[in-house]
This record gives sequence, C-alpha cells and structure tokens, in this order.
Amino acid sequence: MYKLLLFAGLMMPAILFGQIDRSVRPSAAKAPIINIKDSQVFTTENGITVILSENHTLPRVAFNMVMGSDPVLEGTKAGLSEMAGSLIMSGTSNRDKDQLDKEIDYIGASLDASSENIFLSCLTKHMDKGLTLMSDVLFNASFPMSEFERIKKQNESGLLSAKSDPGTMASNAEVKVNFPNHPFGEVMTESTLKNITREDIVAYYKRAFTPKGSYLVIVGDITLDQAKKLVDQFFGTWKGGEATKAESNDGQFNKGNRVIFVKKAGAVQSVIQVSFPIKMRTGDQNQLPLNVLNGILGGGGFGTRLMQNLREDKAYTYGCYSDLNITEDGSWLTIGGNFRNDVTDSAITQILYELDKITNEYATDEELNLTKSSMAGGFARSLERPQTIAQFALNIIRNNLSKDYYQTYLKRLEAVDKEAVLTMAQTYFSAKNCNIVVVGNEEVVERLKIFDSDGVIEMLDAFGEPVKETKAADITKEQLIERYVLAVTSTSSLKAADKKLKKIKSVSKATDLNMAQVPFPLKMTDIWMAPNMDGMKMEGQGMVFQKAIFEGTSGSSWNMQGGKKEMSAEDVAAKNKSNGLLPELNYGKTGMNFELTGIENINGKDVYVLKVMDGQSETYEYYDVATYMKVKTVSIRTEEGETTEMSTAYADYKDVDGILFAHSLVISVGEAGFSGTVTSIEVNGKIDLKEFK
Amino acid sequence: MKFISLSVLSIILSFSVNGQKKIEYVEYDLPNGLHVIIHEEHATPIVAVSILYHVGSKNENPDRTGFAHFFEHLLFEGSANIGRGEYSELVEKNGGGLNANTSQDRTYYYELLPSNQLELGLWLESERLLHAKVDNTGVETQRSVVKEEKRQRIDNQPYASFISEMFKRMFTVHPYNWAVIGSMEHLDAAQEEDYVNFYKTFYVPANATLSIAGDLNVEETKKWIAKYFGTIPTGQAINLYRDFENLSDGDFQKRYGTAKSVFDAKDFMNSKSPEAKKLIAQYAKLPVMIPRPEKDKEVMKSVIKDTIYDNIQLPAIFMGYRFPNQTSADSYALEMMNEVLSGGSSSRINKAVVEKKQLATFAFSFNYGLEDAGVGIFAAVAADKVPLDSIQVEFDAQINRMKTELISQEEFEKVRNKFENNFVSSNATIAGVAENLANYHVYYGTANRANTELENYMKVTREDILRVANTYLTQNARVILYYLPKEN
Repeated sequence: MYKLLLFAGLMMPAILFGQIDRSVRPSAAKAPIINIKDSQVFTTENGITVILSENHTLPRVAFNMVMGSDPVLEGTKAGLSEMAGSLIMSGTSNRDKDQLDKEIDYIGASLDASSENIFLSCLTKHMDKGLTLMSDVLFNASFPMSEFERIKKQNESGLLSAKSDPGTMASNAEVKVNFPNHPFGEVMTESTLKNITREDIVAYYKRAFTPKGSYLVIVGDITLDQAKKLVDQFFGTWKGGEATKAESNDGQFNKGNRVIFVKKAGAVQSVIQVSFPIKMRTGDQNQLPLNVLNGILGGGGFGTRLMQNLREDKAYTYGCYSDLNITEDGSWLTIGGNFRNDVTDSAITQILYELDKITNEYATDEELNLTKSSMAGGFARSLERPQTIAQFALNIIRNNLSKDYYQTYLKRLEAVDKEAVLTMAQTYFSAKNCNIVVVGNEEVVERLKIFDSDGVIEMLDAFGEPVKETKAADITKEQLIERYVLAVTSTSSLKAADKKLKKIKSVSKATDLNMAQVPFPLKMTDIWMAPNMDGMKMEGQGMVFQKAIFEGTSGSSWNMQGGKKEMSAEDVAAKNKSNGLLPELNYGKTGMNFELTGIENINGKDVYVLKVMDGQSETYEYYDVATYMKVKTVSIRTEEGETTEMSTAYADYKDVDGILFAHSLVISVGEAGFSGTVTSIEVNGKIDLKEFK
Repeated sequence: MKFISLSVLSIILSFSVNGQKKIEYVEYDLPNGLHVIIHEEHATPIVAVSILYHVGSKNENPDRTGFAHFFEHLLFEGSANIGRGEYSELVEKNGGGLNANTSQDRTYYYELLPSNQLELGLWLESERLLHAKVDNTGVETQRSVVKEEKRQRIDNQPYASFISEMFKRMFTVHPYNWAVIGSMEHLDAAQEEDYVNFYKTFYVPANATLSIAGDLNVEETKKWIAKYFGTIPTGQAINLYRDFENLSDGDFQKRYGTAKSVFDAKDFMNSKSPEAKKLIAQYAKLPVMIPRPEKDKEVMKSVIKDTIYDNIQLPAIFMGYRFPNQTSADSYALEMMNEVLSGGSSSRINKAVVEKKQLATFAFSFNYGLEDAGVGIFAAVAADKVPLDSIQVEFDAQINRMKTELISQEEFEKVRNKFENNFVSSNATIAGVAENLANYHVYYGTANRANTELENYMKVTREDILRVANTYLTQNARVILYYLPKEN
C-alpha cells in the first residue's frame, strides 16, 4: 500500500555551515514606520456621508451603504429587523428575485443586505452594473408576499435548528439575561415570528433605509473624482425621512452571581459563557485601557491568562477566550469556551478565579508588555486590509473621535500602565456579579448550584425563555397526594398515616432567614394547632416585622407598615380549604379545586405539578417524581389589582417525631430572596396564640 | 492589420486580467532538501513566514490515526531552545500572530509578523523543524486539548460528522478512510516512541516547503535562511543529531555503536573527531524515506445508503460521488460545474431546492479536492416536515439535467466571470500569497500557477462540463447518507 519516495536533494553531499548558537534569539531589526493613509470624506445633499479609501493594488472595489438609525425594541415582533434584512434582496419593482440573482452572479459580484446595510463587492470593470443593481435594491425593494412567506417558513426551520446548536442557545440566553428591555436582548422565537407581517417589514424598510444620517464606505480601485460622479449618479436622487434616534439602556447589572442552564440532550461538552454588561459606549476614553485589560485576561492569542490556565495548564478545553464588545448601543464582556462535561464546574471555578485575580492584583510587566505588543502588532497587521482604513474613518465620524485618533493609537497604547489596567478591572469587572450561562447535558446541573448566589438555577430554553416543558403525568392527583403523605409520614398506608398524624396536636417551627439586602438575620416562627389553626411571625433586631393568625373561623394579619387587618369572609373560606397539618390530605374533602397538570423539569429534576386553587390564590405545588417529596410551591395572588408571587423551595427533609420536615427553605417574594434554615421544630409543645395576634 | 476582432480581444483580456499584478517570487532548494519560496511585497510593513510539511492524515499508520493533526498541536510545545508556551508568547509579544492547520495531505504552520521580526520567525520555524520538544509532558497536555477540540468541532456540532461518515464509506482502501482528527483511542494507546518516530520520519527538511512573503529584502532573507535552515543536517543526519540531543549516553552508544562524547556538543555538525565526521557523513547520505500511500484507484461500484442518528432537529441528506484528484485536468471543469449547481443565489440548486420547491432550509454542493482523490458532495438540511426522499429526487433531477443538457451560454459566462473574480481576490493578503505559492509548489509542482491558474478555467468549454458531469456523477455508484434526529 505504501511506496517510498526518494528526494533528489538528499543525494547531495551535506554542506557544513559554521557554528551558530541557536539559543541566541534574533533581535528585531529597526521598527518599520506605520503609515495610515488618509481617507477622503465628503457629504451629499441628501445626507449621505461618503468615506473613500483608495487602493489600487487589485482591480476590485467595494461599496458599503450603512444606515444611520439606532436599533429599537421589537417586543412581540422580535426578529423583525433581522427578517427585513433577509428579505431586502427578494426582488425590486424592476427585477424579480430570479432576475436580480442572475444579474448579480453574472458579473461575479456579491451584493448582500442586512437590516442596516447593503454591501456590494465586484471587479472595477463591473462597477456601473453593480451600482445599478445596488441602488435598485436600495430604492425599490418590493418584498413580494411569496418571498415573505418563504423566508418566514425558512425562519421556522431555522428556529428548529437553533435548538440543536449549543452556540446559538448560549448566546440567546446570554443576551436575554444581560439585556432585558434592550434591543440586544430580543430573540426571535416561534411566537414572535408568527406576529411579523409583510406590512411590518415594509414599514421597517421605509423607516430604516433613508439617506439621512447614512454612510457610504467605498474601498478599492477607484479615484475620488470617479467616486463623486458615481455617488451623484446612483444615489443623488435617493430620498427619505430622518434617521431614528433611540437611547438604549446599559443592560442589567446583577447583585450576586446568577447561573442559567440551558439543557442540550446528549451534549458531550458544556458551552460556558460568563458575562456581564459594561457601562461604556464606543469612543469612551477608557476603551483602549479596557481593551488592554481584556487582552491580558483572554482577548485572543495563546498567551493570555485564560488560555494558559484552562487550555495549556489544565487541558479543560480547546480554547477559552474573553470577548469584549464595546458598541454604540451597549457593551458587555463574555468569557467562555467549550468544556467536557466532567470539568464544567472546575472550568467555571477557574474562570471566576481569573476574573477575581485580575480585579485584585496588578498585571505583571511581562504580560502587560506582551499584550500591548500583541495589540500593536494586530493594529499594524490590520492595515493590510483597505477596509480597515475606511473603518477608521467611519469610527472617527460616527463616534466623534479626534481626527488623529488612529494616528496616535500606538502612542496611547504604549502609555497604558498597570495602574490603569487595574483601575479598569476594578471599575468594570467583577467575579461576583456575573451571569453564568451553561448549555449542556443535564448531568452537570447539580454541580452548578454552588456558583449561584441563591442556589437556584434558572432553566432557560434554546431561545432564552424560561423552561416550561410539561409531560403527561403517569398517576392520578389522588395517587400523588397519597404517595406524598406516605413519604412524609414514613408509613405504608393512609390509615397508618392518619393514625400517626392524629397524635400530633401542635407544631412550632423556628427558621433563621438571611436576605442579601438585610444586614441582620431574621427569625421566622410558624405554628400549627389541631384541628385547624395556624400562625406565623417574623422578627429581627428585637423588632417584630410581621404576624398572622388563623383560628378556624376568623383570623388577622399585621405588619409594621400597614398595621392590623382582619381576614375577610372570602379569605376565611379559602383558608378553610387548606385544612390540617398536611392539608393536601384533605383537598378532596374541603372543596379545594386541584388538578395534576403533568410533569415539568426543575433544575434538571422531573417533578409533578399540582395546580391548586382555593378561590383567592393560585398555587403550583411541585413534587419530586422519584421521592414524591414536595420540592417547591409557587403561589400567585392578586389583590387590589396587584399581583404578588411567592415561591418557596424545600430541601433537606429530616425526621422530627416520625414526620419529615424540610429544614432548608429558599423563599422569594417579588425581587426579594431569603434563604432559610430551620433551627428547631417542636411537636406537641405549648403555644401561646397571643404572640401571633 | 488595423482591425482586431472583438472576440479575440476578449479572449486576450480574459487571459490577462486587467491591472492584475504578476506575483513575482524566487525559489530554490537548500542542499538538505528544504524548498524555499520568497515573495517580496512592500505595501504593508508585515511578513508571513510559513512552512508546509507534506504530511497529513493520509500518511498515518491505520492504527495510529490522528497523529498528523496531533503534531500540529505538539509542535507548539517548544524546542531545545524554546520553553513550553513560549512559541506563542514570542510571536505575540513581538506583535505577531500565529496558527497552524492540518488536512488529509499537509500540515501548515505560519506566523504573521511585523517586518522587522522576520529573522525571529525564521528562527522559530527552524527550531520546530530541527529539534522540537516531543516528550510526555507535551503529549499528555495536547492529548486532552485535542480531545476537547474533537468534542467541540465534531461531536457536539450538529451534522459535523458527515465528512468522516462519507469518507469512511467511500474510501475502503485509501487512508482517506479516516478523519483528520483521528481516533482518540489511538492517541491514548501511542507511546512516546511512536511520537518520536513520526517526528523523525515526516519533520525533515526534504519534506518541507518554506514560503515567505511580505515586506522583506530577498538577499538578506536568503542569508537568514542559510543561517537557520542551511545548518539543519541532511538526510538521516538530522535524526542522528536529534538522538544525540535526546538519548542517554548508553542508549546512544547502543543504537550507533559510538559514544556521544566523540561529538562536539556545541557544534555538532562540525565535530572534529574522525569518528564523528564519519558517522555524520554516513547518515547524511542515508535518505529519510517518506511513506506515501498510492494514489487512490478504488472504483465505487454500487450505491451505499445509510442512516445516521445525530443530535439534530432537522433531518439532512448528504450525497457523495467519486471525483478525480485536485490536480487532474478534469477538476477545472468539475469546479465550474459545481459553480453552476451551487455558486450564488442564482445557482440551480438554490433556485430549485431552496427557493422554488422549498424543500430545504439550505442546500449546496461542493467539490472536496484532495491530492490523491476527490469527492463531490451534495448536501441539504430539510425544511420542517419535508421528507429527505423528496430532496433526493430533486437533487437527482438536477444531476440528470447536468448530464443531458449543455449549460446555457449565459450560465457559462456567469461562471467564467465568477472565477475571474475569485482569482483576483485569492492573492489579496500576503498570508494568502505565501500559502498559495506553497500549495501550488507541493501539489502541482510549480508555484507559478499562482499567476496562471485562471487560464485553466478559461480553457474549459461547455462540452467539457457536460462530459465531466457524465463521467463523475454516477448515479449507480455513490454514497447517500440520511441524517435523522436521535430519539432522546
């Protein structure tokens, strides 16, 4: 199968050279002078700013028409601008799509459009034809209904594909959590796609594609005179309204780390993206030192801290990078990569370690020099592309940079010192307020809890929406309650359970609650007394904040702000539907409206969902499919037009006098979150009801 | 005399693209067999330094697959004079960028540097060639990294296994049978000795092409090349030297019957002792044999149809045909045929499969040209709820049309224009020029094709395209793969 080849060169006698000392590293020759050619800039009467970067090395030319409008929120029509972009090339009033495609391909050109630009690239000799087609699309895109329907269908299929692409899944989740109520945080889903109409697309095109505030970037084998003539000839008659101006917020800043998990069945790697927004816009004077900081951390190359630690030292990954995005509409940092399942948690630990370290310690001189030289080299190399020169000119105009911004770039880069780098890290970075998005196999979920400041992992779907996958339940609601009761009472029949429960006359439970926003611990006391009385009290620092009591036919609640309030007849009726130490046992008898809606997944665990309605509130109770223990309740109540949602997660069940009680609670009400540890449970002790009135 | 016909003029024009500069270069062989290509171009103050090693996955031992690609990783671990991690550090801190890639046929390393660092680039590459560090520490680390690369680029990506699934069925004899990334079990099973032998066999000057382009002075560059590469031993003397550096006294003595002490450690090649001189001369005369597989001659005789279950949402179809190798005369007509089928929005496949019949979210064909064989691939990811059979029927209709009708004059002009545009753009960067020159030298035997390649396309006629369609799009001998969603 193999044959052996001989090389002619090998047959020549070896020529011996004088000694060289290979351990001596060559030193650099004299540094080359870096020249940045000036671009030519002129404006047209109808509002286009034209930027020309001449380059006659190759006989080709490119025209990029960039619109000047800001992105706006699309809400229930998320994905509208993206879809408009993909429809612009669907034909014009002069040429249907087939004709247009044929004419572009015929001259070997490329003509592409997005929601905010149209780009032509062709050989210089085909420039007139290319511009004829480009301006036709720019002025006369016709958005035929058939193409609209086709692209919509294609998007539907595309959304299906997104469900198997871990990179897309991760970035969808990331933009959603960093940029709520911001154009960046909007992701097309099956339902927003349905809402988009052809009229929406046409309206978008009319509004966004206007000469006012637009930029035409011309690069290549063309002179200034030619460019002026052609711009006038092809774009001089273009008319349109003012460009849309919209202020975007800076993103949502966390208090504490948030873990977001997106399930990808069968994944052999986890995609990890640790991110947070950055309060900065393009052109900020801190942008350059921040770029240096990012370069040291992981902004490209093999020598960065992330790459050296996670790839070269630990071999967790093929690559780990930090990606700094500074834009005109919002900015953020993402650190991420792909990591095999069993090192998912170790990788997050190391990423957070590096993030923490860089905000606490000076960078070394070597790494600072390495990064600065590497950036300077990258800057010089980028000048090979004529597009870079034009981009510089565009940036200067769009972001009001000083005229010599790029001429002085290397000098300003050289001036960035380690003090500046540390200041940048302390101003913009933190290892404690991150969004940690993990896309991967369910088997890794449990090990991610430690990274979340409240221990509750948010489960999002492929489009960054909260997961609501419901499967049909395999048992009835009565069977579920029976199994739950048997599990909690550690008995094997309802009769035995009943006997055990009858012996309990009262329960008093004390819980320590901690809340991030409150500097002192809170104590919560819950009581229950046979047959149907209960109460609660919350106190701290010697003060009582809230109390409530229910005595079977009447009750009241009190809080520090609102004072005392008696229960209404409706409240009492509702409360009577939850009757007994294990009220679930009595749902069938008390007139409670309850149903088993199916099986959902919480934090990677399958749970039965029992929907319970007592006439005043709607409660979802979640029971572990494997153990039947209650793991969570979510209660929603609307009072005087205001809806309050309270969720309680239960864990750490322990036996107290033959009954299993949860000893760990995580409660969240609106924005507030408490973590609770039960410190004592007393059964059949003495209770003073007055304390709760 | 005065009248030159317009048609003649257009032919002349098509042969000499307007304003296209000729790529000038010098090339020569060093006595140790290293081929050198230098292109001078001063537009931007940067240089590209590259080495193409003529070793890819097809040179691997069938029970040691993945070695070629593994070496692409391993050879960044350092050398006798470069510490671990220093390759990238030295390049990056001097303002450069670097990377490498591996195919079935070659392994390619390059640095892009400010032009005043050319000597550094040459030194770095000469160190990699002469005495890279091939030891267990590096092997262990890079083994894990490569496993992650495989998980990231193949196992965890929808449809990403289709090339290896296709090649596995199409090449049962030729080593194109296995994927470039290879087998992780093989990498695990391999011993340090296996790695050392691979290095000694394929990483020798006579198997390498050094291609340099950019803001440089040719004479000065030649001097540096003589200094760093000219001093690399010839033939098996390079491996004698490597053993001298790596083996213990005892092992060296056992292998060569001579003590290490007879050599001059500081200036090995100019060792004074007659015994050393004799041994070096003897080994310099012994050539390094490069094992290369025979060009593939296997003929497909039937249709192989298989289903593959993957973590995907939308089913997909991949059809593969045996094409000739990339240097065959027919490959130009085949590429132009592919442009008619799949180049741009107006192409036949896009129009029929994606736009008119809406059978697929995307569909395309491409030619996978390699040194020893080629493969023509048709691929489509189905639109929601569209059965794969109906896509296959449409692909077959397009293939049939290609085999029975001449393409239209308009389509013909279109693809010619497209290839002219591609040709102009192919040499837009100095990194691209360095790589093109090296490729053309290694695969076609002459770097000058960088200047003449367009002519080969311009010679293709419509009849040629019809002929190659009939020769190679064999409906009774092809591989058809259906990708279906895995049940979870």
